[in-house]
Amino acid sequence: MTPMAASSIEDLSRQFRAALDAASSPADLKALRDDFLSRKQGRVTALVKSIATAPPEERRALGSMANALKQEIEQALDARDAAMLATARPKDTVDVSLPARRPWVGRRHPLTQVRERVEDIFMAMGYQVVAGPEIEDDWHNFEALNMPAAHPARDMQDTLYLSSPVPAPDNARAATLLRTHTSGMQIRHMEAHDPPVRIIAPGRVYRRDNFDATHTPMFTQVEGLVVDENISLGDLKGTLNAFAEEFFDAKVATRFRPSFFPYTEPSAELDVECQGCSGRGCGLCKHTGWIEILGCGMVHPAVFEAVGYDANRYTGFAFGMGIERLALRLYGVDDIRMFYENDLRFLEQIAL
Amino acid sequence: MKAPVSWMRELADLPASAGVNDIAAAVAGVGFEVAGIEGDVIDFEITANRPDCLSVRGLAREAATAFAVQGPESRVQGLPAVARGAKVGPESEVPVTIESELCGRYALALADVTVGPSPAWLADRLTACGIRPINNVVDVTNYMLLEMGQPMHAFDVARLAGPEIRVRMARAGETLTTLDRQARTLDASMLVIADGARAVAIAGVMGGAASEVSAATTRIALESAWFQPATVRATSKRLGLKTEAAARFERGADLEAATAGLVCALDLLERIGAGHRVGRITDRFPSPGAARTITLLRAHLDRLLGDQVPDADVMRILTSLGFVVTPAHTDWHVRVPSWRVDVAREADLIEEVGRHWGVNRVPATFPALRTAPHRADAGVLRARRIRRLLCGAGLQEAVTFTFIEHVAAEPFAGGPASLVTIANPLSEKFAVLRPSMLPGLLDALSYNRRRDIADVRLFEAGSVFSMQGERQRVGWVLSGSRLVHWSQPAAEVDLFDALGVAELLADAFGVTCRFEPAADAPWCVPGRVASLFVDDGGASRRVGIVGQLLPSLTSARGLPAGVTVVAGELDLHELHGTDAALQRVTPLPRHPSVQRDLSILIDAGLPAAAVRGTIRASAPATLVDVREFDRYHGTGVPTDQVSLSLRLTFRDRDRTLTDVEVQQAVEAIIEALARTHGTTLRGN
Ligand SMILES: [Zn+2]
Repeated sequence: MTPMAASSIEDLSRQFRAALDAASSPADLKALRDDFLSRKQGRVTALVKSIATAPPEERRALGSMANALKQEIEQALDARDAAMLATARPKDTVDVSLPARRPWVGRRHPLTQVRERVEDIFMAMGYQVVAGPEIEDDWHNFEALNMPAAHPARDMQDTLYLSSPVPAPDNARAATLLRTHTSGMQIRHMEAHDPPVRIIAPGRVYRRDNFDATHTPMFTQVEGLVVDENISLGDLKGTLNAFAEEFFDAKVATRFRPSFFPYTEPSAELDVECQGCSGRGCGLCKHTGWIEILGCGMVHPAVFEAVGYDANRYTGFAFGMGIERLALRLYGVDDIRMFYENDLRFLEQIAL
Repeated sequence: MKAPVSWMRELADLPASAGVNDIAAAVAGVGFEVAGIEGDVIDFEITANRPDCLSVRGLAREAATAFAVQGPESRVQGLPAVARGAKVGPESEVPVTIESELCGRYALALADVTVGPSPAWLADRLTACGIRPINNVVDVTNYMLLEMGQPMHAFDVARLAGPEIRVRMARAGETLTTLDRQARTLDASMLVIADGARAVAIAGVMGGAASEVSAATTRIALESAWFQPATVRATSKRLGLKTEAAARFERGADLEAATAGLVCALDLLERIGAGHRVGRITDRFPSPGAARTITLLRAHLDRLLGDQVPDADVMRILTSLGFVVTPAHTDWHVRVPSWRVDVAREADLIEEVGRHWGVNRVPATFPALRTAPHRADAGVLRARRIRRLLCGAGLQEAVTFTFIEHVAAEPFAGGPASLVTIANPLSEKFAVLRPSMLPGLLDALSYNRRRDIADVRLFEAGSVFSMQGERQRVGWVLSGSRLVHWSQPAAEVDLFDALGVAELLADAFGVTCRFEPAADAPWCVPGRVASLFVDDGGASRRVGIVGQLLPSLTSARGLPAGVTVVAGELDLHELHGTDAALQRVTPLPRHPSVQRDLSILIDAGLPAAAVRGTIRASAPATLVDVREFDRYHGTGVPTDQVSLSLRLTFRDRDRTLTDVEVQQAVEAIIEALARTHGTTLRGN
């Protein structure tokens, strides 16, 4: 075997490997296959032909070397072909970066979401959710709540009255006004049920108030009432602290300030530590570090007497919160009107 | 109520180390919110139950109790010099007659005065508290109003007919020009102060201009009285006249303060050299009541607060606030001071103790649950379900106002007489209660369209009102494209989208319903409106309405022309139907079904429901479903006809149907359709 012939086979093998490394497309592979293996001008084909001119004693060895090379090249090309096919872009490929076809979906209004969040927390504490009419009679809205006619506290909630009374289906008293709070439902519930009572009463309430960034003539309230033997102010505190923690999903500091409501005695307002500044003081909390979220107190014995409960035997607590006020905090909104404009650009920012 | 801290310090031994902010915080902590602080002056918000704190003295009392220091009730104070020589008796040069029980007490003193400006310190204090200084006499009355909370009024004796004072009801039509130069017409419900001839002041509200103290005044009659709160309140409201005096009388002034206030005022007049008393003080006090005494039980105190306040603190707090406390075994008898008009029963005393003990000190506990909790109100749960259902179906929940404009409400009302109107609306925009969910939703839709938001699908569940009462409804409005995607042309929503929402709701609540053309919905395009009926054991009730809104209505609410709005509304009381969790299922079919398609030519005016009814009536029980899958008119179909294609599905519960029996059933249907409606098979 001449060193010349053997080395040219090795050369060819090296050249093929280099070319294969450089090939990057099916077209490159096809060209490579033609270059080396084509029956007419293939370089391996030419090599095999040239063996005939070699000395007879070398032909056999050269022949088997050339065959081995040919097989090696074929296998390498086949392997590379298969690999390329596996990573190629399939026919009918879809551009998944185009906008998808989204199913129609709507969101619950932010006021609903906050209201249901409050309801859910109290339901988990064993409270029954009750409902009642939005147009009320004087008894349920005022009288039974220790606010007889000409009581100064009636001024605290400037009332919208109906031009003429609307008959109520389930009792003798016709509705004469738009309820100024959901407390009427507490009275209705106590009139119909004996203690123990553990309810919340959510709903719309109405005041003769201007409509501006911080006031609205209609808002949403959730009131709670617990009546049993030995219910204390401590129980009220424990309940509301637990609520605040659940609602804000954090350990929040709370503060009770004495206040006045005709239907509770003692009365208080509950402040929670401002979430915007962690109590250090900011614009949101008027630099006090606290934000008022609800009014509460121990049920006034006159209310128990109005519904026929034994005021010596039972005590209870009540609380009421404005959903809008909580929602303003939760969503970082500074104009209450946004909740009533129903602007989809706002509503679609609320969680699904 | 604005209170200068320097003034409070004159009445209570507040710690020198406590600054203005500390005092503000301490008083806020016992229930008087601070509206603002300006220099030495703290502006406190006084709740309606505490007229006694519409005074510097009242606030000093609260501050002293909060700091546990000597205050107005415990500090030994020398009586003013004039009080020592003052004699109180019925005789006077100006006789006083009370003719109405609405005046509980009337004290009067005469003084000779030299009217002029007040000393600067006095004028400055008034100014700091927001009252404009006028002259030394008027300023003294205002000073006493601020310090003691006792309103007073000075008359020029020379301008009183008689001179005498009669406290009586006004005569109908009687007129009086008040200090603010307004001519007021009075009525018989109003209490007035009159002289021998006419009314000279509206009791507890404002004095008259004619008897006003002026530079020429030399002798005054100084009034310090008590009027029934309700009458002052009613008169002030009726006249639209809110004054510092009325604010105190209408909440309840101190019945015992009338003469004490007079004595202090006379002393102050003398101290500033403005004048001196003449003669005795007249005090008309027809029926002095006994002080209220309330028993406070230790057991009740502990039970309501959930905390044990030590005896010494209970005594200290109540005594400092002016209560006279007598311990009785473990309990207390408590005499209520005359200025605490808000304290009527034991719970009020417990509040006093709790307030100053500190609500924040009471340990937090949790009430025991002694009975099984109840499920939420059915209506609340139903509304929740509807919201989740419709949100899932792609509608956005809206919250709109319950009160709306009259013109917006009218098309949706059963007639103008059925609208519930508000007697004292804030504005025309909030004048009537909504008779339907749709006007509010339409306005919300219009709001979005005007902001270039084209595809709007809104719903709301809530109360609607008529003179028959309040009902719960859900309403929805749809406008814009059904689906917007680059792959296909946009298709506008139409009536069938709105009908579909109604079907979905009925389905969710297990209610079987049907649509029929409606003719009594004035807000809908004629021919594009359907009533939703529920059949209930033979009786049929209309529970909702679905239609395309009139273009005149949508443009009146600000929508651009050419925008189609479809809407629907459903009465929720009719959806009490089925609790989804309790809905039973039917067994799945075990045998294959057979489908046959039918294309028929029918009269264009023939409702699909009639065709379906004929098919069902003429088919065997094995026909389980009839569904239209194409409706066509145009080329190849006569102009007054349409081609309707239906897919019929047959199935038997117990066996596989044969081709022959299905074919027989289809032929019977075709025959019945031809006989009943004159239909022909398309292509035949
Ligand atoms: Zn803050």
